[in-house]
Amino acid sequence: MFADSARVPATAPSLPRRLPVAIALLWLVALAASSLPWLGQMTPGELFAAFWSYTEDHYPSVLAHYSWAPRVSIAVLIGCGLGLAGAVTQQILGNPLASPTTLGVEAGGQFGVTIATLFVPGLLAFSPDLAAVAGGLLAIGLVIALTWRLGFSPVTVILAGLVITFFLGAMNMAFLLLKGEWLGNLFIWGAGSLVQNNWEPFLELLPRVLILAVAMLMLMRPLALLQLGQASASALGAKVALVRGGALILVVLMSSVVVSRVGVVAFVGLAAPVLARLLGARTLGERLLWSTVTGGGLLLLADTLAHWATTLGNGSIVPTGTTTALIGGPIILMALQGIRNTHHMPGADSSPAGFMPTRKPTLLIAGILMALLVLTIAVSMAWSPGLSSWNWTPVSNWSDAWVWRGPRLMAAILAGMALGMAGTLIQRMTGNPMGSPELLGISGGAALVMVVLVLTGLDIGRGGQLVGATAGAAAALGLLILLARRHRFAGNQLLLGGLALYVFMDAGLRLVMASGGTVASRLLNWMYGSTWLVSEPEAIGLLALVLGLGALLSLVIRPLTLLPLGDSAASSLGLPVARARLLLLLMTSVLTAAATVVIGPLSFVGLIAPHLARVLGQQTVGRQLVVAALAGGLLLAIADYLARVVVFPNQLPSGLLAALVGGLYFLWGLSRHGRH
Amino acid sequence: MPAFFEVDQLAVRLGDTAILHNVSLAFQEGEVTALLGHNGSGKSTLLKTLARQISPSHGEVLLHGQSFRATGARAFARTVGYLPQHPPATDGLTVRELVALGRYPWRGPLGRYTAGDQTLIDQAIHDTGLARFAGRAVDTLSGGERQRAWIAMLLAQQTRCLLLDEPISALDVKHQVETLRLVHRLAEERELTVIVVLHDVDLAARFCDRLVALKAGQVVADGTPNEIMDSGILESIYGVAMGVMERAPGQWVSYVH
Repeated sequence: MFADSARVPATAPSLPRRLPVAIALLWLVALAASSLPWLGQMTPGELFAAFWSYTEDHYPSVLAHYSWAPRVSIAVLIGCGLGLAGAVTQQILGNPLASPTTLGVEAGGQFGVTIATLFVPGLLAFSPDLAAVAGGLLAIGLVIALTWRLGFSPVTVILAGLVITFFLGAMNMAFLLLKGEWLGNLFIWGAGSLVQNNWEPFLELLPRVLILAVAMLMLMRPLALLQLGQASASALGAKVALVRGGALILVVLMSSVVVSRVGVVAFVGLAAPVLARLLGARTLGERLLWSTVTGGGLLLLADTLAHWATTLGNGSIVPTGTTTALIGGPIILMALQGIRNTHHMPGADSSPAGFMPTRKPTLLIAGILMALLVLTIAVSMAWSPGLSSWNWTPVSNWSDAWVWRGPRLMAAILAGMALGMAGTLIQRMTGNPMGSPELLGISGGAALVMVVLVLTGLDIGRGGQLVGATAGAAAALGLLILLARRHRFAGNQLLLGGLALYVFMDAGLRLVMASGGTVASRLLNWMYGSTWLVSEPEAIGLLALVLGLGALLSLVIRPLTLLPLGDSAASSLGLPVARARLLLLLMTSVLTAAATVVIGPLSFVGLIAPHLARVLGQQTVGRQLVVAALAGGLLLAIADYLARVVVFPNQLPSGLLAALVGGLYFLWGLSRHGRH
Repeated sequence: MPAFFEVDQLAVRLGDTAILHNVSLAFQEGEVTALLGHNGSGKSTLLKTLARQISPSHGEVLLHGQSFRATGARAFARTVGYLPQHPPATDGLTVRELVALGRYPWRGPLGRYTAGDQTLIDQAIHDTGLARFAGRAVDTLSGGERQRAWIAMLLAQQTRCLLLDEPISALDVKHQVETLRLVHRLAEERELTVIVVLHDVDLAARFCDRLVALKAGQVVADGTPNEIMDSGILESIYGVAMGVMERAPGQWVSYVH
């Protein structure tokens, strides 16, 4: 009666055998590595018995009972909890990038504890997790408030989460820079340390994790419906927004409870579900189960590595968060090779909620931005606080003030322009509103080189740093190109690759930060964009570079208009797709490297400026490029001026201020957009 | 007996644009109705409103004589099933797993699937001729089979009404006819109320009891195929000069001049 396309008898796909085998192997290795240092002193049986008892007159046995066993237990517990939370998050949002880390929950928790440490230390003594839970809820509350009207559309939620992560991270940094003496401790905590000396934390954590896990499992069936997309899920009677919201809250509680106890254990919640899916967990039930098991094994392995590194590293503490990042990076890269179909995940809306304000004339908008920029330059050159009061520098004296105020201002503006253009290029190229130099890890590559330079203690001067950072950005981009070539530079794969690079950078940074001291605060200053380090020749070099690249960009406007139509459409119109993407990526990397050296990797001007251009009514590529460049320049010019005067005679890094100002703007824009 | 759906002075606005205004219609139980109209005439919007995917800005829809807003989400899903125009990729779900999701409105988040549920699922798979594909991943099926898998899910849902948004627009002629014949047969066997958005007038006239045409958000024609398949009326619906031939009773051919 029916026409059947395939006559092949089909059997139900079964769970591939490699999944249990690989996970068992992971656990075996982790357990073996963890117990290895003890086996010289105790038999395996005795060591196993350490989980519930100890022999009083045998010191290693006591040590194992109160240090090793609780540490193993808590690592497994947290890993399982975060793995489950990550799998649930990915199902809620239908997005392989989703995890407690990318939703801003962990940054929120960290922020909460930072505030509590600096201002109400008594609260921490009273209850260590209250502050973290409040921070996590604040972060997710912001995300939910911003995306409520859009029915938690997956792309928007991740976007809001990432912006909030950056924003809260920047706030964190601002406080830490102003109160540097707290730095070391907070960073060790912030980087996730699982060191235990009794069973109390584990016994406190156990019931909470169990209750939250059961609650998550009870939501399993409605969550499975989300796979059919919003329309079908609600047609089947699931209250989509409610299910998503409820499950998100559970994820927040799970992450905050963990963060408050041991700090940020980043990327387990991302890596575990990715690995489980990669190894063949197919249905929701399988994914939840295997993500949980994988998370436990992963964190145990990571924690063991951290413990070993600490032992080898002469007592300087290596936090577990660092090693999770080191393990998480490669897994995300593996995912890049393995995950098909990330272009359109089930349940994901095919198009991101677009900013589609009415078009406005480019000349008008560009003119206004230009005028604002000139005004900012004039104010920045002329009006500044002195030792006693604010005063105007007359134009005739500007040539004297130039040395102090000129180069840094110029560098800031140019870096902003470069980031604005690079961001527009990336967003257009990937058709992804989350694409930006910051999020693709190109800035991260540059930063990683800087971290290594600081770690090795080499003093090669500003010029050497410039070269090194450029090389880092280019290497990051090269790696990205190699990885993404298989997918012909498709959008989500690029983002995943970038995320993996960012993970590596993050690991290095945490390592440096955990050591505290002057090295850390120097690095922090650079990370958050200290324009006062820029000299005049550097600024002029930057000018030449940005002008040259800007001119080149006029050549790629049309290919850039074609690419978002999809590879097949673009190539059928005669565009050599892969080569065009390569060229665009190269230009992007040079622009990004130039900007990163000046302003640090975290300003997220490259994310905001293109959005700003769209909100200002510039929908076509050329117009968006021009306006985004101007907006980026203006943003950093203002940030640079404020950085100079706000805490005069001290200075704040202007990248930090740009992140704060830009983050506020972006959140406002997102919520306004939702109201349409 | 009240009509299954009663639409009373319905208006829908999206932003500043009025998509539907002043639509009043009644859909009888057991009737197969086609919604016709050119692109942008509001037929999909009407269907989505009936499926509660969009809430009306004015007017009321009555389900069995009661306001349909009062019904709970799952209770509504036990009465009305909706198939969106572009069902998403299903990420490795097998046909049977997809169809089993249709039992959600009846069992909820925690209720156990009984043997009766399994029978209904198997029955739905059998009725749509997918038995041999039950273990295959939906994503690996051809377009027509995938469409049937989704319809099987709606059948497992055991609703009294199916709302189908252009179920055949991506299929070739053979699969188009097969799908509509399936819908028609199921509607008869299970006495379902079916409202289906279609582009092909001839197929609509062949397989549906009633044709409703929309234009610029208003009902411009409503009647049996016999009444609607008239060159004058078709011309007023589509705004193109058209002619109609009746080749045999119940089989019309329309053409463009």
